[in-house]
Formats: sequence, C-alpha cells, structure tokens
Amino acid sequence: MTPSTRTPSSEADNDYNLNVMNDTVLEVSGLKTWFYTRRGIVKAVNGVDFALKKGECLCLVGESGCGKSVTALSILRLFDSPPGKIVEGRVLYGGVDLATCPTAYLRQVRGKDIAMVFQNAQSALNPVFTVGDQILEQINTHGGLSHSEAVSKAKSLLEEMRIPEAERALRMYPHQMSGGMKQRAMIAMSLSCDPTILIADEPTTAVDVTIRAQIISILHELKARRNMSIIFITHDLSLVSEIGDRAAVVYAGKVVEVAPVETILKKPAHPYTVGLISCLPDISTDAERLPSIPGSAPNPIDVPAGCPFHPRCPKVMDICRTVEPEFCQLSPVQATACHLYDTGVKG
Amino acid sequence: MSSKVLQVKELKKYFRVTAGLIPRPLGEIKAVDGVSLEIGQSEVLGLVGESGCGKSTLGRTILRLEQPTGGEIIFNGMDVAALNKQELRKLRGKMQIIFQDPDSSLDPRVTVGGSIEEALIVHGVADPAERAGRVAALMEKVGLEAGFAERYPHEFSGGQKQRIGIARALAMDPQLVIADEPVSALDVSVQAQILNLMMDIRDRERLAYLFVSHDLSIVKYMSDRVAVMYLGKIVELAEKEEFFKNPLHPYTEALLSAISSLRPAGKERIILRGDVPSPLNPPSGCRFHTRCHRVMPICPQVEPEFKQHAPGHFAACHLYP
Amino acid sequence: MTEATKAPRRISSGFNSRLAGYYWERLKKNRLSLVGLGFIALLALLGIFGPLFAQDPQHTDFNVKNLPPLGFSIQESIYDIKTDSFTTTTLPGRPDHPLGTDSKGRDMLAMLISGSRISLLVGLLATGIAIFLGTLIGVLAAYAGGWVDNVLMRFTDIMMTFPFFLLLVLIVFILGPSLTIIVAVIGLTGWTGAARLIRSEALSLRTRDFITASKALGASDSRVIFNHMIPNVISLVIIMATLSIPGVIMAEAALSFIGMGDPMSTSWGTILNTGQHTMDTAWWVAVEPGIMLFLTVLSFNFLGDGLRDAFDPHSII
Repeated sequence: MTPSTRTPSSEADNDYNLNVMNDTVLEVSGLKTWFYTRRGIVKAVNGVDFALKKGECLCLVGESGCGKSVTALSILRLFDSPPGKIVEGRVLYGGVDLATCPTAYLRQVRGKDIAMVFQNAQSALNPVFTVGDQILEQINTHGGLSHSEAVSKAKSLLEEMRIPEAERALRMYPHQMSGGMKQRAMIAMSLSCDPTILIADEPTTAVDVTIRAQIISILHELKARRNMSIIFITHDLSLVSEIGDRAAVVYAGKVVEVAPVETILKKPAHPYTVGLISCLPDISTDAERLPSIPGSAPNPIDVPAGCPFHPRCPKVMDICRTVEPEFCQLSPVQATACHLYDTGVKG
Repeated sequence: MSSKVLQVKELKKYFRVTAGLIPRPLGEIKAVDGVSLEIGQSEVLGLVGESGCGKSTLGRTILRLEQPTGGEIIFNGMDVAALNKQELRKLRGKMQIIFQDPDSSLDPRVTVGGSIEEALIVHGVADPAERAGRVAALMEKVGLEAGFAERYPHEFSGGQKQRIGIARALAMDPQLVIADEPVSALDVSVQAQILNLMMDIRDRERLAYLFVSHDLSIVKYMSDRVAVMYLGKIVELAEKEEFFKNPLHPYTEALLSAISSLRPAGKERIILRGDVPSPLNPPSGCRFHTRCHRVMPICPQVEPEFKQHAPGHFAACHLYP
Repeated sequence: MTEATKAPRRISSGFNSRLAGYYWERLKKNRLSLVGLGFIALLALLGIFGPLFAQDPQHTDFNVKNLPPLGFSIQESIYDIKTDSFTTTTLPGRPDHPLGTDSKGRDMLAMLISGSRISLLVGLLATGIAIFLGTLIGVLAAYAGGWVDNVLMRFTDIMMTFPFFLLLVLIVFILGPSLTIIVAVIGLTGWTGAARLIRSEALSLRTRDFITASKALGASDSRVIFNHMIPNVISLVIIMATLSIPGVIMAEAALSFIGMGDPMSTSWGTILNTGQHTMDTAWWVAVEPGIMLFLTVLSFNFLGDGLRDAFDPHSII
C-alpha cells in the first residue's frame, strides 16, 4: 500500500509492471511546470509527487494560486505551450510518460482514458450548442458508435447524473439549465467515453451547498459503480473529508504532504497542513479565536529559497531557509516534505 | 435586555420584470417577501441561505440602498423607511455594509486613504488634517500601517482589501454592520484573520452584525443567533446552540447535513431533490415543498406560519402545528 | 510592501503621481506605442515651433515651381514651338527646398509643417468635442437609467443615422468651405459611438460594489458620478479619443481632398487634392502628405493600443 515509489532510474516498462502490481493507475513524479513570461519564470508547479490507485479518490488540497489546477492541466498537457513547459518530471499512465509522449497519443488519452471536469460549468459548456450535441461530440471523437447508440448513451449518462427528463435535457442549451444541472451535464460529458480517471477541478466551488451535496453523492456512486479513480481538486478541507480517500496537500507548487484523509485531519505532519486544519471553524473547536496562518502565500514568480513555507512556518529552523526538504515517508501511508521529519527514508 | 438596534417587520422587496420598449410587465421577483427579524446591540445575527434566496437583497433593503416595497425598518427606534433624503444621509454613517468581493469593493482610481476618508468628507468633517488623523487611526484599528494610505487597491492582497473595506465601514462609528459574505472570496488561512478581526472589533466597539453567509461553519463560529432564508422568506430562527443541535425546518436539516462536521451524529446525509425554483414563480403553499424530504399533503396548499415552537426558536413548517 | 512609512498629513484621494507612474511603467513596456508617442510629440513640436524656422508656406514663386525633393530629380519636357520638338531638361532638387515645391512654387516642407498643425488641431478639437459630448450623454444615460436612458439612447440612434456628409455639403454650399465647419460637423455628429461605448462601460461600473459603498456612505449622486464613475470611465475615454483622432484626421483630409475644406489652407488633405492632378510631373506633392497621414494615423493607433493594454487591469504587462 505504498503510495508513491519514486525510482527515477527504472525503465518505463518496469514501472508499468510495478504499477499494475501496486494497482496504481497514474503516477506523477517530480513534476515541474514552469511558465516563461516577460516578468520572470512563474514556477506554477514546482515538485509534485503523488500516485493514484484504481478506484480511489485522491484530493489535491491547497489554497488559491498554489498550483493544483496547473498540476491537473499538466497531466493532460492542457496548458498553453509557450509560455508553459514541463521542465522536469514524469506523468506515467499505462506505461507511457504523458509529459513527453507525442501529441497524437495524448489526444487519444484525453477524454477516453483521462477526463476532466472544470470548476465553472458556465464557461466550460459551449453556449451555442445543445447539451446533447456536446455530449455526442465527445462520444464521436473517440468513435465507434452509431448515431442512435450514441444518443441513447448520452441519455443514459444524463439519467445516471439524476437529471430529470433526460430526453428533454439533451435538447436544452446551457443557459436554460440551472447551475447544478450544468455541472452535472458537464460530468456526464466527461464520462461519455468511460474514462479510467476523472480529474475534477473544484467542481463544487461555484455551486450552492445543497447542490454540492448532490454532486458529491453522484461522485461517490461513480467511484463505486464504475471503479473509477478520481483526482479531486479543492481548497475546501471539509469536502476532502466527505469524498477523499487520500489527500495531497499542495503549497507553492509542491506537494508537502500525502496521507489518507483520516490521518491528514487527525495527525497532520507538515506545519502548513497543521495550520490549515486549525484554521477551520469546526464543531469540535468552539474556540474563542480562530488560529490563522500569518502572512500570505508566495508569488510563484518569486518563490522563497529553501522550503517555500519557511517565512510563515511556526516551527522554522535555520536549515529551512536554505535547503529544500525532500519528500520522505513517515509511515507506510504518510509522506511529507519537511525538515522536521528528515527520517532519511526517501519517499 | 438592551434595546434593539434593528427591527425589521414584514419587509418586502419586489422587483418588477418588464420586457419591450414600452415596458410590458412580465411578473415580479419577490426577492424579499415578508421578513421579520431583530438584532440587539452588540449581537451577531447570522443569516444563511443559498444563491437566489434574497439574503443580499435583504441587506441592501435594510440600508435603503433599495427602496422597500412594503414593511418597516426600525433602526434605534427610528423608522428608516419614512426618512427623507437629509435625514437618511445622517443615518448612513450608523448603518454600514461590508462587501464580498475585495476586488470590486474599492474604487481602483482612488487611494485607499481616499476610500476610507470618503465617509468623513460626506459627513462634513472639513479639516483635512483631522480626516488624515482619523483615517490613520482606522487603518491601525484594522491592522494596516497608516503609511499605506497613499497606495492604490491593486497594491494590496485580498485580505488586506477586506480590511480596508472594514475600515471604511467603521469610519463613522456605526452601530450596525451588514457583512455580506465578507470572507467567501478569501483563502482559508486569510479568512480566519478577517473573522478574528471582525470579532475583535465587535467586542471593542460594541457593534452589531448581520452576518450573511452560505458557509454554515463560519456562521456557527461568528453568530449569537442564526436565521435561515429560502426564496425570500425566513424559514427558521434560533439561538446558535439550539439551532445546530436541534434544527426544526427540513431545509435547515438538509443544509446541516451537507457538511459532515455539522451533521448530527448518527444521521444520514440528506440529498435534496431538484434545484432551487425561480423567484419569479415560487411554488404555492410552502415554497420549499418541491424539494422537501418530509413533504406532506398540506404543504403545497397552505403556507406555513412563522411561529415560535420553543423559547427563542421560530420556524415556518407544517410539521410543527 | 515592507517599508514602514509615516501617516500622511493630508490624504490625496484621487489620481496622484503614484498612479500616473504605475500606468506609465506599463505603457513603457510596449515599444510600438512609445514609437507612436514619440512621433506624435515630434509632430506637435514641429507644429508649434516649425513655422518659426520654415519658410512661409503661402509664399508663391513661380520661378521655383515643381521642384522635386532633395536627392531626386525630374525630367521636364517642354514643347518648343520654334523647333517643333520637345526639349528635355533634368531638374534636380535644391537644398533650400528640401522636400520640393508645388506647382505654385510653395515650399513643401513649410506646407507640411503648417499642415501638421492643422491636422493635429482639427483632430484634437473635433475629437475633443465628440468625446466630451459622448461621455456626458453616456454617463448620464447609464447613471439615470429608466426613461432618461431610453430617451437619450433613442436620440443617439437617430443622430447615428444622420448623414453627416450631406449636412456638411449643405453647410459648405451655404457658407463656403472652411475648416471650422469641418471641425464643428465632425464633433457634433461623431459623439454617438463614444456615447454608446461609454454608456455600456458606465452601466457595468454602476453595479460594482464600490459605487454601492459610496451610496451607502451617504454620497450624493453628483459625488458618485464625478468622483467615482467619471474617473473610472476616463481610461476608456482616453483610449477612445486616441483611437478616434486618426479617423478624424483622415476625415478632414478626405473632405479637404474633395474640396470641402478651405482651398487656401495647407492642410494635408488640401495639398493631396492639388497634388493628385500632377502625379506624373510632380509626384511628391501627393506622396508627401500621403506619407505624413499614414505615419500619423499609425502612431495614434500604436499609442491607443498601448494605452488600452496599460489601463486594463486584467492584462498582464
């Protein structure tokens, strides 16, 4: 049950076999995506490691600007290529490194093996086409079905999303649907080719609490029924506890901690995770004052030397200012990048 | 019991929707449809609801930024709805508002000192040196260096901009501040900073808040009492402890159950059917009946009365006759 | 944000040198717009100080007519009655008329300089009138809303369809051609586009929280309009003005070209007009003002683009 085994020198084939044995479907190691702009190099993703197992939901947690969305885009290389570039690292899927593979192969993977759902359904859906047309377009991109088969598949997808009157919904335009329905239609679209992995980028942020509950329960069902793996990106820790199996905490473009959700909430290791959790107004702490983390997140153009969290860390040590901590295993299930825990066991 | 800072009675705000060059009425959006509530001195009333429920409109109508269609607003004993322009302007300093979006709440072409100073200018503080002094004091009160008064909003972070917004609201020593989702647009770690600041100010200045939010865990932290709004009406109102321990209205139950940390022990997660109905065409009888998981035959027929069911605990639901 | 500074004695609330500096830094990064700005500045300097150094553009001297620019020469063929043949002479340019002369012997350089004055003046004045009217109507319509907005916008629609060219011809017919008329007509009919755009910008401004905040503080309507709405619209106004000026200059040139302008003036359009007839014998008379127009319009466009990017808070510069 080891989450991430980083073995930089092994062959891709070896890794593939390892993955199959470990039930890992996606492995991201040492990923760095930088954007070269006139103002400087924006190090949006600066060292991300995690592994996704079959049928599990891994939450990428972090505040705004920490690089979690860019990480998701990097998996499928969906960012603009100048100015962005994957400068280092690997994204292993099915034995192939998606970071360096040819675009033609990547296009086959997109949508069919790995699908993505975005935060703002309003802007992700094309306003001049009906929802049905858009789902059909997705189905037809990866081919194989006759028109009537595709239509009935689209209808059953909408029904799976618990959208009432699916026939009618197929003919509706995005602006005729409510926010929650649009979000669900977008999820339906992403499922149209039965992907193995679903990347959901803050799908519930723009949506009301009660609709959020609907969408979370839909995602639960998807996980169970289709044995689908989900990468769930969010800034909301309470959501993590509802849907996640494991969580990876991201700060300034680096993953600083990976652990099962229970562990993250009860026994967080990294000081940032500790701070983040204690900031939450929660039923159990009826505290007089909410603890908060002083300062604010660094600008990705200007990341501090050493550990990026050191200017705000309550437990900062001298070494933190100069040396970047390595990602190491604290236990078989928990790994973190922090000098407090330099166990010497490399993760 | 200290006197009430704010009393709202059967407040209504309807928007007429028209179409065409010569306006043809299509209907009315009953954004606020008969809301009654009270806020005591130094009290924080949390107002919870989802988008479209009218909570923002309620805040603005109370401040008479929108003209009420009906009902009464009584601030410190004065009927706000009946005031003329002059009197209203004098009152403006005492009832203030903090906005959700730090980027749009400050004029980008005005220095932050200028934004804070505006209230002082409008209310006749003529001496520029005195204004500068008061602005400096206000900035320090919200945790910002006074020397930053010359800077422009784009030079500050989201959390700092919210602080400036708070300083602006405090300029004329208000007694009531309507906080319209003040931390929703901020990062989690910064949210805590701003909430702490708001509580400190409440304690020091003896300020009352109408704290509007969709985030129940924040409301739980900040409020003394909590009210829930749905499609223009208040459906439940209670003291905080009572509210979270013993919710009466099914909608409240659903809201609480959507957040795992607030879900009462042992209960299942409640998923509501369907989407929020359009405020142009609210459902008959109890407006919540189309999504209610405990709906009864009487619900679509008759609108339930907003009544007290336990000391200080009000709800509008046929489950509790 | 780390230097601690003392609290100021007076609050400077609106536009101050800090903000100007910020925008200037942003504008500077766009090389093309700096080039445009430089050219316009040069033109302005020429227009102001040029006439002090150049010759009198109105001075006609038929002895030096049709001289080419310095460095060029032109062949003239003159028919000699006595010999019933053409004698061809080559006429070179002269340093005292570096850009040549026209068919009446007027110095091209002097005419171009005085023309630059006219073009810039006309451009600025007519644009100024148009933008001023447009801003007033646009902001008023947006702020007042309701029937005021309706009436003002329908009025704008009607003015938009107004055939300004016909109006111009009519007035010129009655009063004779003149630049003042051109400026007035362009100004009084050109405000409609500005009004529309500024109104829509003001409408979106009206819903922004800081406007509500001002009202919540008790600010009067006029304070909201003049201290908040107008300053936020100004950047759009400046951009629109900068990008309208070339259109106005071209309009004036075109009108002068077809004869609506004062034939005695030396606006570039008028020079072009006289030059079009002598394209084969004195091509420079048409080409030079043409080049000037081209460069001027280009410069304003570059500058306008740069300003638009500099003022837009969302563009990353």
